Amino acid sequence: MDTSETFQVQFKGNAQTYFGIWIVNLLLTIVTFGIYSAWAKVRTKKYFAQNTSIDGRRFDYHATGKQILIGRLIVGGGYIAMNVLFSIAPIVGGALFVAFMFAVPYLINRSIAFNARMTSFSGIRFGFTGSYWRAVLVYFVYPFLSLLTLYLTMPFVSRAQHRYYVSRHRYGTAQFAFDSKVGPFYKAFLLAVAWVVGISVVGIVVVAAMIFGSPAVMLDLLSAEADGNDLGIGHIIGMGLFSVLILIAILPAGYIYQAYLRNAVYAGASVAGGHSFTSVVKPAKLLWIALSNAAIVVVTIGLMHPWARVRMARYMAASTYITVEGSMDGIVGEEQEKVSALGDAFTDFEGIDVDFAL
Amino acid sequence: MTLPSNHYGQNNFGAVDGYAYAAQLSTRVSARLLRDAQGLRLVDQAGETLCTGAPSERERISGGPCLMTFGTAWTFDTDDIQGVELLLGPSDDDWLSSLEVWHPRLFAVVAGCLIGVLIIWKWGLDILVAGAIALTPTGFVSTIDTGNLAAMDRFLTAPTELSQSDQDMVRDIFAAIKDHAPYAPYGDYTLEFRKADVIGPNAFALPGGTVVVTDALVNDFNDPNIIAGILGHELAHVSERHSLRQLYRSLSVYVLIAMMAGDVGPILEDVLLEGSALASLAYSRDHEASADVIGIKTSHAAGYDPAALAEFFEQLTEDYGESGPEWMSTHPSNAERIETIKKLAAEQ
Ligand SMILES: [Zn+2]
Repeated sequence: MDTSETFQVQFKGNAQTYFGIWIVNLLLTIVTFGIYSAWAKVRTKKYFAQNTSIDGRRFDYHATGKQILIGRLIVGGGYIAMNVLFSIAPIVGGALFVAFMFAVPYLINRSIAFNARMTSFSGIRFGFTGSYWRAVLVYFVYPFLSLLTLYLTMPFVSRAQHRYYVSRHRYGTAQFAFDSKVGPFYKAFLLAVAWVVGISVVGIVVVAAMIFGSPAVMLDLLSAEADGNDLGIGHIIGMGLFSVLILIAILPAGYIYQAYLRNAVYAGASVAGGHSFTSVVKPAKLLWIALSNAAIVVVTIGLMHPWARVRMARYMAASTYITVEGSMDGIVGEEQEKVSALGDAFTDFEGIDVDFAL
Repeated sequence: MTLPSNHYGQNNFGAVDGYAYAAQLSTRVSARLLRDAQGLRLVDQAGETLCTGAPSERERISGGPCLMTFGTAWTFDTDDIQGVELLLGPSDDDWLSSLEVWHPRLFAVVAGCLIGVLIIWKWGLDILVAGAIALTPTGFVSTIDTGNLAAMDRFLTAPTELSQSDQDMVRDIFAAIKDHAPYAPYGDYTLEFRKADVIGPNAFALPGGTVVVTDALVNDFNDPNIIAGILGHELAHVSERHSLRQLYRSLSVYVLIAMMAGDVGPILEDVLLEGSALASLAYSRDHEASADVIGIKTSHAAGYDPAALAEFFEQLTEDYGESGPEWMSTHPSNAERIETIKKLAAEQ
């Protein structure tokens, strides 16, 4: 029998309760000189996971503060040791740094695996099986090759990365799969590029016409700057123009890309048993939420961060659907495997983001 | 705070509804945690007992569901927090949850955060840095000198091309300055000559006490008073341990911010990082100013004219111009340094 049913992802968190968690986390982190941050991270992740549900079945997060702290101590210790070594013996430090680069794909895999393993849905944990050489290929070799094509092949790289990420995940014993044409990835890429180019051209012409009368004068000013003669006023105008350009050209392009990319990735993903996903994030809406969030957070010197984060989580959840083939019941979990928090702490520290956004 | 009624409710008969999941199976079972004459147990909709006794674990994040584990066999979750409290009593980590509740008390928590950050900023970092410096072995600092000198010789500097007489002149000044400089914390001060055209007329000190003078400096400013002033300034960096302080401070700040990164959110994190970068520039400018002060005392004590250093900066400004706005720089502006030097030199 073929009955399929579609559910919208629900997020039930609210700004008030998360504000309390957030500010108490922050206070305890400060008074413990950062040590509590490991437990704070767990509490935050639990809050967001437990308040996210599909058809009344919850997500959950299972790492312990102690696990996270140990991972962070190792990574933080390594970071300090590396810096100290750099200042004692820069040549040895440099050589060691190159050696360390070879560990990065391994750490990325550990990080994805740790996060998968520590997340559960409907009582069953996720899992991830990485491959060192596939990770080297999709995260390092492919991006480098695409650089040689002036990034014109970036959508292929992006598709390869998401295929690697999605299809190596499991839900219990049910394997994820990823199958997508490259078209949707090109759509995301080209629309973002078109936005940047279009706005930049319009912006430069308009601004130059307004301030300097003609574009030629501005080029003059820019080259004067390069000579380092008078950095003062030219520098400040340059910085101002640059931030405006970032605000209206690059930032929106980032969200356009992110929105279409997410929709493409969800459309291509499925789980054994025929369950599939749909993401209907709208770039304009995403951009609006992100920009107004940023503005409000800045104006309130950070105090509205919880509200902003909850608002974004709610929009992301509401834009996500899962179509279940038959039932979500009956999926079997797998034996516990040991995972260390080391890789997780590494990506945390270095700000590498291998997640696709949910 | 726990209400008394919650306590005497602990052994009340009652029930809460929720969902149960057997271990390692995604199948959702509508279930009810129930206490009646037969005791506390988890039953399904048909009334079949799934397991008996109290949950082995119970967890709740403010504003979320209550999650319970019954040994390794079952988990159970419910939104009926009140019901659970009545049935099982308050949970162990209640103090944390009640602190997190939306309540005017949170104003105090916000204030506590601000005060905490201020205290860490004003004293905590200095204490960390002082501790790290106290723990730093002398041998380690000398290794920094040899290691960096080796790296610079490889990538930045070439052997000196100064004449023997120029070198001897600078060596004599160095010997005189050394005798009047403050105590060298990591072994004796030593002097090195290097040709390094990329950094122009310059001198710098490594933390262990090695002072490097570029050929361009000796060629462009062949005045013993100027060289004495510059060497006095560099030795002050060493005796005050300025580079170690900067290294330790930026490391501590980075680690502290990285620890909090997940909590403050990306925007505030950027503000913190940018802010701390600006603050470390201010910190570095303070060090330069203090090295100027000590350096002037040293060169005066050694019998040189400290005001000559002002000429050096005037010449530098003429040749190279001011290097951008001061708040973006590791060094105070030349104009400001010239003014301070003239004032201090007059006081000597
Ligand atoms: Zn200096």
